[in-house]
Amino acid sequence: MSTNLTSDGIIAFIPIIVAATTATLGMLGIAIKRDHFWNTTLMLGGLTLALISSVWAWQYLPTEAVTDLFIVDAHAHFYMLAILIATIACIILAYPYMQSHSGNREELYLLMVLAATGGMVLVCSRHFAGLFIGLELLSIPMYGLAAYSFQRSHSLEAGIKYLLLSAVATAFLLFGMALLYAHTGQLSYAGIEQALQANNSVSTNLVWTGTSMMLVAFAFKLSLVPFHLWTPDVYEGAPAPVTAFLATASKIAVIGALLRFLYTVPALNSEYLREVLAILAGISIIGGNLLALLQTNVKRLLAFSSIAHFGYLLIALVASQQVLVATGIYISAYLLATLTTFGTIAYVSSPYQGTDIEELDRYQGLFWHSPYLATALTVALLSLAGIPLTAGFIGKFYVMFVGVNTAHWWLLGTLVIGTVIGIAYYLRIITTLYVTASSTNQIRLPIGWNHTISGAMLIIIGILVILLGAYPQPLLIIIPSTITNLG
Amino acid sequence: MEFEFYLSSAITLFATIRTITNTNPVHGLLYLIVSLIAVAMIFFIIGAPFVGALEIVVYAGTIMVLFMFVIMMLNLGKDVVKQEQQWTAPDLWLGPGLLSLALLLQLLYAISTGGFHTAAGITNIDVHQVSTTLYGAYLLCVELASLLLLAALVAAYHLGRTTENE
Repeated sequence: MSTNLTSDGIIAFIPIIVAATTATLGMLGIAIKRDHFWNTTLMLGGLTLALISSVWAWQYLPTEAVTDLFIVDAHAHFYMLAILIATIACIILAYPYMQSHSGNREELYLLMVLAATGGMVLVCSRHFAGLFIGLELLSIPMYGLAAYSFQRSHSLEAGIKYLLLSAVATAFLLFGMALLYAHTGQLSYAGIEQALQANNSVSTNLVWTGTSMMLVAFAFKLSLVPFHLWTPDVYEGAPAPVTAFLATASKIAVIGALLRFLYTVPALNSEYLREVLAILAGISIIGGNLLALLQTNVKRLLAFSSIAHFGYLLIALVASQQVLVATGIYISAYLLATLTTFGTIAYVSSPYQGTDIEELDRYQGLFWHSPYLATALTVALLSLAGIPLTAGFIGKFYVMFVGVNTAHWWLLGTLVIGTVIGIAYYLRIITTLYVTASSTNQIRLPIGWNHTISGAMLIIIGILVILLGAYPQPLLIIIPSTITNLG
Repeated sequence: MEFEFYLSSAITLFATIRTITNTNPVHGLLYLIVSLIAVAMIFFIIGAPFVGALEIVVYAGTIMVLFMFVIMMLNLGKDVVKQEQQWTAPDLWLGPGLLSLALLLQLLYAISTGGFHTAAGITNIDVHQVSTTLYGAYLLCVELASLLLLAALVAAYHLGRTTENE
């Protein structure tokens, strides 16, 4: 048992150390002088450095255990990269958005960096202590972020709702861990696995209850039906860049942690658990899509559609075959498309004017006065719908593929039905973009250099969606197919 | 020691239920403090005196007393004296007081008989063991916990500000 921190461990942990240092320096920077531009640049630079160091560490030390609590392997590196990319994109989107925010602006970035650090810790943990602290470090800044523009009652409501419900989910997680610990006497995943194998006691009630309670917490964070009730309100209430962060970085980190938990403790990943996951997947797909169909608010619509997307993703977990490749591709496609959709909302709502532009009819005729943005949004929506030639199609294809291979027919049925419903409401947004606008409620986009940067980023992400849809090979190379399990 | 365990657990449960069902916040907090002390008692019984002491010092001692002060100070007004009298009425502290007394008697009894319940395989985990684990294998967790506190502090600072502008 390697208990203490080694120098290799520190090298493997460099991305997280850099991110944590960025948060500390960012805090000091704010304390020394509040300057929106320089503080943002500092934190953006720190995260970019973390991104580069993550790529470097991946090549230098592909797999390294960092004490008993963490392990930095290909899986961790891939998800860390995804989280860092999402965070950097959200900070870039937040900059023009926050320009005219009354009150303190800089804390938003600080909280985002802290949450990103939490997410990175989460995907590395192979121990309940690491899992818990990572999840909390991800969630606690989220409360502050969701309620960031607290002068608006919607935002405050979002923050409080997320705080309370998330605390309940955390309680479930802790109780589940306690039950598993009571049975096995181990806190590390590998230890639990060994203990469960040793006395062949996977199906005792204690273990089932513990696992189910932990699953409730994960399902809450991934907002799967029936634990999704917070999602639309929080997505709607939170400022648009924060919603983008919540929908991407936060959820990606949690799915990364869930995958590691289930695949380092295969004893728990049994037929029964997969039945439960299948039911969650089925009702999430149907429920999320049906509810999305009824929405006229774009943020709420995308919130429900994200519920459905994690339902699709769970099919890969249920099929339990090539699961890491399928989820990796799906997550990449989801990340890019979601960043573009929420990014567009943030972009057109910048600078912040008290409310976000989120009603669907405000987007009427967006194409006619900002064609590039509307095209990027169209591509992203088509990708979410799973139309061929976009990254979303490759993701759905893989999920479908593993589903067919393992003959989960009824689940595939829900996927098909869900996709059809999905196309209906995604196309509704797309057609809105292209009709000629009534002149009264048109969006007016102010032009400034800062807008151009986030705008250009959205267009680049839009192009990436197409590129990866047409030529997914580079993605397939970097997506890890195994989770290292060191006993 | 089994009887003591069940007694402490019963007090914990009862005090927690009273915390939730009480309509008076100060009353509820008093019960919450008792509940935390009873949990500390359970820690003492199962051989973790350090955690038990921390539970009392940190939760019952610091956080709860802070809560108490905040709630009492938030109500500064004309009828604050009247409220103060209501809050210090005997029927308010009698329940928590009795429960605490039961815990104290139990503690005194346990000290007088001495020793841990070693028969059930319980060993005494002392400060040395806790700290070597905390600053050895769990060192990163300690560091991350400080980041967690930073995040909570920044969020609380931001949300707690009353002025709109600098």
